[in-house]
Amino acid sequence: MQSRHLLRTAVLGVALGAAAFGAAQAAEPPLKVGLLEDVSGDLAFMGMPKLHGSQLAVEEINKSGGILGRQIELIHLDPQGDNARYQEFARRLLSRDKVDVLIGGITSASREAVRPIIDRTTTPYFYTNQYEGGVCDASMISMGAVPEQQFSTLIPWMVEKFGKKVYVIAADYNFGQISAEWNRKIMKDLGGEVVGEEFIPLGVSQFAQTIQNIQKAKPDWLLTINVGAAQDSFFEQAAAAKLNLPMGSSIKVMLGFEHKRFKPPALNNMHATANWFEEIDTPEANDFKKRWHAKFPDELYINDMGYNAYNALYMYKALVEKGKSTKLEDMRKVIATGEACIDAPEGKVCIDPKSQHTSHRMRLISVGPQHEVTVVKDYGTIKPYWLGDIGCDLTKKNDKDQYTPSHLPNKS
Amino acid sequence: MSAELFSVFYQFADVFAFLILSAAGLAIVFGMMGVINMAHGEFIMCGAYVTVGLVKLGVPLAIAQGLAAVTAGLIGVAVEYLIVRRLYKRPLDSLLATWGLSLIVTQSMLLIVGSSVTGIGTPEGSFAIGGYTFSTYRLVLFACAVAVLIGLYVIFMKTRFGVMARATMQNAAMAKALGARTGRIYAISFGIGAGLAGLCGALYAPTMTLIPTMGATFVVESFVTVVVGGANVLLGTAPAAVFLAMIRMALNASYGQIIGQIGMLFAVILIIRVLPEGLSSVLVRRGR
Amino acid sequence: MFKLLDGPQTLGRGWTFWSCFLAVLAAALIYPVFADSYDVGNFSYFLIWVFMALGLCLMWGYGGMLSFGQTFFFGISGYAYGVLAINMGGGSTTIAALMLSVIIAMIAAGILGYFMIWGGISGIFFGIVTLSATLVLAFFLGQTAGPEWHIGTARLNGFNGMKGMDPLTIGDFYIEGSALYYVMVALIVIVYIALRMLVNSRIGNVIVATRENPQRAEMLGYDVRKYQLLTFVIGSGLAGLSGALYTSWGQFITPSSIGLPAAAMPIVWVAFSGRSDLTATLVGSFLLLFGFQTITVYSQQAALVLMGTLLLATVMLAPQGFVLGVGKLVVDRWTGRRRRDANSTLADTGRLQSDEA
Repeated sequence: MQSRHLLRTAVLGVALGAAAFGAAQAAEPPLKVGLLEDVSGDLAFMGMPKLHGSQLAVEEINKSGGILGRQIELIHLDPQGDNARYQEFARRLLSRDKVDVLIGGITSASREAVRPIIDRTTTPYFYTNQYEGGVCDASMISMGAVPEQQFSTLIPWMVEKFGKKVYVIAADYNFGQISAEWNRKIMKDLGGEVVGEEFIPLGVSQFAQTIQNIQKAKPDWLLTINVGAAQDSFFEQAAAAKLNLPMGSSIKVMLGFEHKRFKPPALNNMHATANWFEEIDTPEANDFKKRWHAKFPDELYINDMGYNAYNALYMYKALVEKGKSTKLEDMRKVIATGEACIDAPEGKVCIDPKSQHTSHRMRLISVGPQHEVTVVKDYGTIKPYWLGDIGCDLTKKNDKDQYTPSHLPNKS
Repeated sequence: MSAELFSVFYQFADVFAFLILSAAGLAIVFGMMGVINMAHGEFIMCGAYVTVGLVKLGVPLAIAQGLAAVTAGLIGVAVEYLIVRRLYKRPLDSLLATWGLSLIVTQSMLLIVGSSVTGIGTPEGSFAIGGYTFSTYRLVLFACAVAVLIGLYVIFMKTRFGVMARATMQNAAMAKALGARTGRIYAISFGIGAGLAGLCGALYAPTMTLIPTMGATFVVESFVTVVVGGANVLLGTAPAAVFLAMIRMALNASYGQIIGQIGMLFAVILIIRVLPEGLSSVLVRRGR
Repeated sequence: MFKLLDGPQTLGRGWTFWSCFLAVLAAALIYPVFADSYDVGNFSYFLIWVFMALGLCLMWGYGGMLSFGQTFFFGISGYAYGVLAINMGGGSTTIAALMLSVIIAMIAAGILGYFMIWGGISGIFFGIVTLSATLVLAFFLGQTAGPEWHIGTARLNGFNGMKGMDPLTIGDFYIEGSALYYVMVALIVIVYIALRMLVNSRIGNVIVATRENPQRAEMLGYDVRKYQLLTFVIGSGLAGLSGALYTSWGQFITPSSIGLPAAAMPIVWVAFSGRSDLTATLVGSFLLLFGFQTITVYSQQAALVLMGTLLLATVMLAPQGFVLGVGKLVVDRWTGRRRRDANSTLADTGRLQSDEA
């Protein structure tokens, strides 16, 4: 609770300072931001940057005068990767701490654990990860990239560059299965062929059989959507067996910074599309990286989740200030105008009114033999169009459901 | 054709090595001594971290792996002396104590070392047969697994320490009355078990992602192998590993990993149902 | 009837104990008047898990069967509640869904128990078989993400979990907040009293006798397998009750509530509390759940270290379990002068009731 305590002291200090200049402003109570991020357990190495991103954003916003003149109090709880704890703590933050906004969750399961609880309140919820997409829920604002932004850029490029035959290794749960479904759909449109699909249970760390299956199927390239530290061992084992195939992914490099954690050349010839990775070299991005590393000098890599967590607070600030209210319905009125935008380190991003997902500046990166990362292609801004296309329109109807290419809304 | 045959052998050897190396330490600590060691995975993790740390300091890999196993063994002796020693009469309480220990260790590692460590890379070396390429290091792992089995057999069946250890596990009071220093024997046995767990971690360290909770990926497999092996650990563990490896390999190859995993657990349930005392009960009866 | 409540297999008897019991119950009943609504809801959430702990206490502490698979029945019942509540359309039918899902868990326990107990599986093998079954269920449910995995209109939805079921409802009234709290307290009291009567009855004596020495119990003419199966089914039914209530509480259940490390938690609660007594398990599980949550809220990253230390210290300092250790200390002080000799021998044996019973 040290961070919380420190923040409180900071709030107090600023408030007192403000009181000296104008008493009106000091009377405003701080805005409470509830944050749920795993900083212990299996996912800690992804959760830490998320916590850091939120802390950095809160510090910056508070320094520059807060939101509508109100300071932010960040209340962070650590659910330790346990879905039941996510539910306990979401309830605690909502009814005990009475937070104005809830942010966080890493896995899709943790998001789904929080949603039934948040849906029965009028508190907004920001989910800050890239994920398998498809959640159509008025209470939730998604900050991360979704498949139509990642796969519809990555897969055509891979097919053009390496060939039409792909082998998929995916984690055997919702994210992996739905991503594989996306791949099938896009490959079909491109006239490509999925020569093999392998679903791997979470926690599996041995891949000799998989490597051989791949060699048997002779694909042109691999789509690697394996998840978690155990499954990441695939890269090391494939490199040791000299598999030497080009790889594409929607989650590698920018999330788990595998290119920093593995010894080269395990990640050689990996290609990924994302809205953020630390290697982006623009003035805004460099400035952001400098501020981050000044505050957290030990950070190995600023990953995409941490970056999105940082943006979430600025997006919240923008929504509240434009709507001049912290109420979800007023924030949604701002979103409905289509003008809910911020200037993020990647470029300008906006919230799509129909799906409440975020548009992103997508870039494609390639990893070299020494794990050097280069930006190969800049796709510009890509909107999260899929949910809107299939009939999710949150300005008219709140579905509270999650759709996939094989589970579409009933057209009524 | 020969390529296909070799690949079947290679896959079998790979699963077998994984089961034997992860179960060997537990076979002694749990199988022989009866301590339900929930911190088994943390000894594995310890071996892996020490190996990687030493390699980064410039120690050659093989020596680092040996040192890592010894380190884990020494820590094991300390844990036995401080905690496990008081719990021999309460085996189920050792479950709670070692689980507590495992929580402390994994989280402390996270706080001290950080959430992830850069890997060291698998030693070079691969060969091709037919259309397949294989990593040589995987065969080294298999050789190590066989060596561990032989080593255990020699230590516990052919040395004076082994005879006394087996006597102590069977009837500590009697062994003590006959002059065995049971306290020391327990400590050394636990140390060997922890050392073998450390060796497992050390051997797999170059091929895996290192995170503080990595030990958990080994735990279910190792408990299952030891239990299917049955009461006579030295006889049972190897056939249990062979059996489970064959089932898992066959299912992995034809139906994918998820069926492999579910199928192996089903096989465990069925084996225990048919042989409630484990595989070794059959072998011992035949032997008489 | 009072004889059954105050029998030989349970600790705490006489007017002192029962007046304490009534005092605690009274305090629990008026608690919502003073506390804020979050705390009331949080307490009823803890009580949800206590049923599973009581069931395991019966099986492990009294019956000598260490099941590592209580979450198997927790999960079956939790998913059953979801499937039934969604398909039957919510509303008052959720009550029926709750009862049916507990029955489904008990049927599953009957099948698995018959398979194991008639196969002569005991000791640690019992633990490994139940754990394997649990992991199989968790792995299976984890890969059911696709829309083809559905029962009626209820999608299993894989690792992300099943949701969309109504909480327990009577008519239009959701049983939540204080209402849920009172329902939970009532259920706990009923289950606690019923288990107490069970273990002190003739059946309970046979169950304990089987734990101590199955052969001897069999020689006395009891078919011990039937008694073991009964224990297993009741214990698992209680785990099922926890599961259904959990799903109803959060309107959500995932496979990770079934697999490791969730499967280890009931064992930790019961071992911590003192498995040989129902009262100790009841009090201890509640305290431990409360303690773990409080530690997690206030200590951030050090939480797991503190939890581990707590468990380790309990084992080293209070061999019979935390609650029993503290409880005995209090009782010893109280009656110290009269029973000093008896107590010192009791402490040495490490077992509580078996020597007296």
